[in-house]
Amino acid sequence: MNAVLGVTLQGIQALRVEVEVEITGGLFVISVVGLPDASVREARERVRAALRSLGISVKGRVAVNLAPADSPKEGALLDLPIAVGIAHSMGEIHVTRPSLFMGELALDGRVRRVRGAVPAAILARDMGLPLFVPAGNAREVSLVKGIEAYKVEHIRGLFEHLRGSAMLQAIEPSEESVEYPEPDPDLSDIKGQAAAKRALEIAAAGHHNVLLTGSPGSGKTLLARSLKDILPPLSDDEMMEVLMVRSTVGLSLDSSRRRPFRAIHHTASTISVCGGGTNLRPGEISLAHRGVLFLDEFTEFRRDLLESLRQPLEDGCISVSRASGSVTYPARVLLVAACNPCQCGYLGDPVEPCRCSPSAVDRYRRKMSGPILDRVDLYVTVPRLTPEELVQAEGQEGEGSPEVLKRVIRARERQWERWGPLGFQCNAELPEKALKKQVGINAEGRRFLKEMAGRVRLSGRGISRVMKVARTIADLAGDVDISTVHLAEALAFREGGDLPWNR
Amino acid sequence: MPRHLDLGAAGEDLAVRELSRLGYRVMGTNIRMRMGELDIVAEEGGEIVVVEVRTRTLGRMLPPEATVGPSKIRKLVRTGTAYMDSIGWEGPWRIDIAAITLGTDGKPALEVFRDITVGLIKP
Repeated sequence: MNAVLGVTLQGIQALRVEVEVEITGGLFVISVVGLPDASVREARERVRAALRSLGISVKGRVAVNLAPADSPKEGALLDLPIAVGIAHSMGEIHVTRPSLFMGELALDGRVRRVRGAVPAAILARDMGLPLFVPAGNAREVSLVKGIEAYKVEHIRGLFEHLRGSAMLQAIEPSEESVEYPEPDPDLSDIKGQAAAKRALEIAAAGHHNVLLTGSPGSGKTLLARSLKDILPPLSDDEMMEVLMVRSTVGLSLDSSRRRPFRAIHHTASTISVCGGGTNLRPGEISLAHRGVLFLDEFTEFRRDLLESLRQPLEDGCISVSRASGSVTYPARVLLVAACNPCQCGYLGDPVEPCRCSPSAVDRYRRKMSGPILDRVDLYVTVPRLTPEELVQAEGQEGEGSPEVLKRVIRARERQWERWGPLGFQCNAELPEKALKKQVGINAEGRRFLKEMAGRVRLSGRGISRVMKVARTIADLAGDVDISTVHLAEALAFREGGDLPWNR
Repeated sequence: MPRHLDLGAAGEDLAVRELSRLGYRVMGTNIRMRMGELDIVAEEGGEIVVVEVRTRTLGRMLPPEATVGPSKIRKLVRTGTAYMDSIGWEGPWRIDIAAITLGTDGKPALEVFRDITVGLIKP
């Protein structure tokens, strides 16, 4: 194996790139082969200038080969390994131990921050190789444990390190921030809306998708944002997944274990949400991985965007195929959608009259994507509070987020115990088969469900949705079997959906 | 000899003297190849250097170095390559321009432009 290694990104995975350099006589020219993109090809100007800043003048015909030759290389992060490879080939330095290098070079030899440091760190850990990263990336790399990594400020420091004359500073694993950020907004900050808060608790406990319907100003957005603080904290593996996606996009990283919350505006393009573009970046749905994806004004979203969310909601990952290649990004999200009940927004409001004609209401409802609604387990109506309720004194606003979070975590633990051996994490993921056999429902509950299925005309899928939600409610209560009480509550959240639509 | 050829020859003599002072080891001047002539061939820093000498009187429209255009550069590359082949040199080489401007007081000023083909040669 060649000792000088770089990385390139393939989806959110880092791929090892061997940098081979051959220098022959002739007029000076650097040629880069191995499917480089424009920014890699431009590396030769930066590399020569950076090496010149160290007094190393590159002469002759320089051929740089990036192996494996068949996968496309992107990004300026290959500047540093190319510079090291050329200097190694010129005999200026000797890289004896295989090492991974990444970084973009400035003309004066400084090393600039790049995206994708976390995937590179994970590759370095898996291969057991030392990693050299720009100082600007040191913080994110410090979140990956068990690697030997060094931060490079300037290429001079790196060369001195490789020559053994002065050592670079090793990156120490960073201490995890133990404190959990303050809930914003806290559930107790939201007045009224007991049913909606309960729905959010169930959604958080069982990973059920939610649709919030209500008039303008009823607090749908506030409720949705409060969801992220009652979701259980990220586990170690989940945290790594979230960090990898964020690092791939080049977003700043924090070491908190709070789940991501991404709100998308309804004018967003399909590519920005699903991922893609010329160099295949992950989209919003991947940034919301292991967290909440919030679609406000659900009815205003472009149809093709909503339809493209169907597959990731089902599979928990999204495959993006372009001419430049095909990659799979993680996309396991809790979907929260919010919309008004009709065009004017006041259908069913106790005070404000609705100004929509029946046909306008009909047209508005038809905009809802059926297949997406089909993946929603909880339909919640969010009523507007009356003026008296709004100005009421503070206090008696129910539990705060931390208490709810404790219940949610316990419910998740129960689910994990039950489904873990079968390979699922939460109730919403259950396939039909497991549901029938192992969901645990008592005789009375079964009778009740049979009766209700006839009365409210539940479809087969409807019944399994109700059972899943009821299972979560039972888990929240700590009950072994689903009973009538749980089913009745689950049915209420089903009916919420039946009221305005689907009639 | 016409005046402009006199000027050129004087410029080349001056360039040889000045380049030697700058550390170039001059290997030959006015080397004729089939497709053209190389003004000065020297060795510097482990490389063979083909030096194109341009001399101008101050006040002309263009500075001397600007008179080397794309077609001249192509010709220099071809001639230089042929020369390296003829002497069997397989190491790195480059092309420099020695630009000499003759001031109004008759005093010449020399400026060397190193490695003028960087970025111009397509791999």
